[in-house]
Amino acid sequence: MNEALYPIAVFFAAIFTNNILLTNYLGMCSFLSVSREIKTSVGLGIAVTFVMATTTILNWMVYNYILMPFGLEYLRFIVFIIVIAAFVQIVEMIIERVSETLYAALGIFLPLITVNCAILGVSLFMVIREYSLITSFFFGLGSGLGWFLAILAMAGIRQKLARAKVPPGLEGAGITLIIAGMMALAFMGFSGMINIA
Amino acid sequence: MAKGLVKKTFIAPLGKDNPVFVQILGICSTLAVTNKLENTVVMTLGVMFTTALSSFTISIFRKLIPARIRMMVETLIIATFVIIVDIVLKAYMPDIWKQLGPYVGLIITNCIIMGRAEAFALNNKPGLSLIDGLASGLGYAYVLLIIAFFRELLGTGTLWGVQILGSWWTNWSIMIMPPGAFFMLAIFIWVVKEVFIKEESK
Amino acid sequence: MKKESFFAKRIYPLLFMLGITVLCIAVTSGLYLFTQERVEANENLFLKKTVLEAAGVSYPDDFIEINRIFDEIVRETGDVFTVNKGQGGTAFVVPFTGPGLWGPISLMVGFAGELNALTGIGIISQNETPGLGARIEEPWYKQQFIGKWGPFTMVEEGTADEPDEIDSLTGATRTSRSVQAIMNRAVSEGPQIIKGE
Repeated sequence: MNEALYPIAVFFAAIFTNNILLTNYLGMCSFLSVSREIKTSVGLGIAVTFVMATTTILNWMVYNYILMPFGLEYLRFIVFIIVIAAFVQIVEMIIERVSETLYAALGIFLPLITVNCAILGVSLFMVIREYSLITSFFFGLGSGLGWFLAILAMAGIRQKLARAKVPPGLEGAGITLIIAGMMALAFMGFSGMINIA
Repeated sequence: MAKGLVKKTFIAPLGKDNPVFVQILGICSTLAVTNKLENTVVMTLGVMFTTALSSFTISIFRKLIPARIRMMVETLIIATFVIIVDIVLKAYMPDIWKQLGPYVGLIITNCIIMGRAEAFALNNKPGLSLIDGLASGLGYAYVLLIIAFFRELLGTGTLWGVQILGSWWTNWSIMIMPPGAFFMLAIFIWVVKEVFIKEESK
Repeated sequence: MKKESFFAKRIYPLLFMLGITVLCIAVTSGLYLFTQERVEANENLFLKKTVLEAAGVSYPDDFIEINRIFDEIVRETGDVFTVNKGQGGTAFVVPFTGPGLWGPISLMVGFAGELNALTGIGIISQNETPGLGARIEEPWYKQQFIGKWGPFTMVEEGTADEPDEIDSLTGATRTSRSVQAIMNRAVSEGPQIIKGE
């Protein structure tokens, strides 16, 4: 495989074959609670994708230019989460000042994002897998889009499902998890499509 | 009275207020490692340790923490305990540390810990918060251990790495792959809810 | 309602945050320094175990014993570990790294003294998918290389019986191919590296 194409391959792998939600179960909390309607899940999906791609780059720089040279890698958990929290806060403030419509659409989702495990997860995976800056960016973007895709599909299915008769014990979380399991099965079908080797 | 409160604080998260199957919180960080019982035990111990001690610490400082930066302070304290877990695992259980990989760090974003800090530790005394944190961790741990038990047994025919089922057993590979965890958790929630619903209607 | 004083509103939160940050960092740094020696010893031990495994030397699960055996029979020159197995002859162990599905896969590859067969492999690091690609850590997978010589062809899991055939892992074709590529490079470059020293 061509070296230059590696980031692109990681990008597609993160969306399809190794979807962060369906294979690593990251970001489940907001996935289960916000996937009831298509509209809200689109808002959250966009916010997650944006924050994920950006914080991955920020954390990569912080890790490689600040933590590594000083031998402080063991502090990465604290530092990453603070970078994410601070970034979300700043974005919230900017959006609030710049556009009211955008704030009305995305504002409520931003606090949810800080505790979204997927965002921190992507940063931690990037460090462990020793990705370069470019690859990290594509990995973050791909993971965000993958998460977006999964929650959008789930919201679509759940809207149809609202009319269906589900056994009382399975209502709510139970049926959502079963659908997620089937989606995970379906996404496994993509494996082999992308060659990272 | 005080004794009754302690008992109630401890029992509630194990049953009717269970963080996993009633509130569906915090499964993200651990679900991924439930394909092996051993990893799940270590991981859930880490979660229990963090939940209990971060609730305890936050409760000690509860009157001093400025409301404005509450979340930041909580996150910082939680992250500190998670780093402690990470360092201890790395030093004393390097093999398991390697297998858990990034998931130890993800304990930070486990919603249960933050949830307990916000809902309980900020308003209660340290001792009670410690018990609440421990019980929430325990309520979380046993659900994931049950899932891990079935996933490892059905998926590889082993428990704790020891072969349990004979050669006649065909491994259900699906159980150790990602979809297995979703199905197991759904089935578990289903069973528990059916039992509860029956009890309530009696 | 009483208006908050400037101190309570701006200065106190800042001081509090600063204080708690210093406390947290002090605790974690203290613990880190305290365990650092042990962590290094662990890493060192792990490397020694991997070399012994690749050379096909069995060892007890005991810290002191492993160090004793290693110091007694292994000589390290540059990248090559020369293992004196007594009656079992000599084995050369060389590390090889290549891209895996998610991150680099690093292996220790053991060569029999005559450079016509392998004595085994040990895995230094891998980030493959748990339950699929990560099964390269399973003993049967590693042991299948003992006594074989490449270039290797990959066959379905459980069907390898020729000296140049290796089992692939079901559901982890990418990882299997990555290992195959690393091993093929090992058998073609390994002998030169060993002779070159």
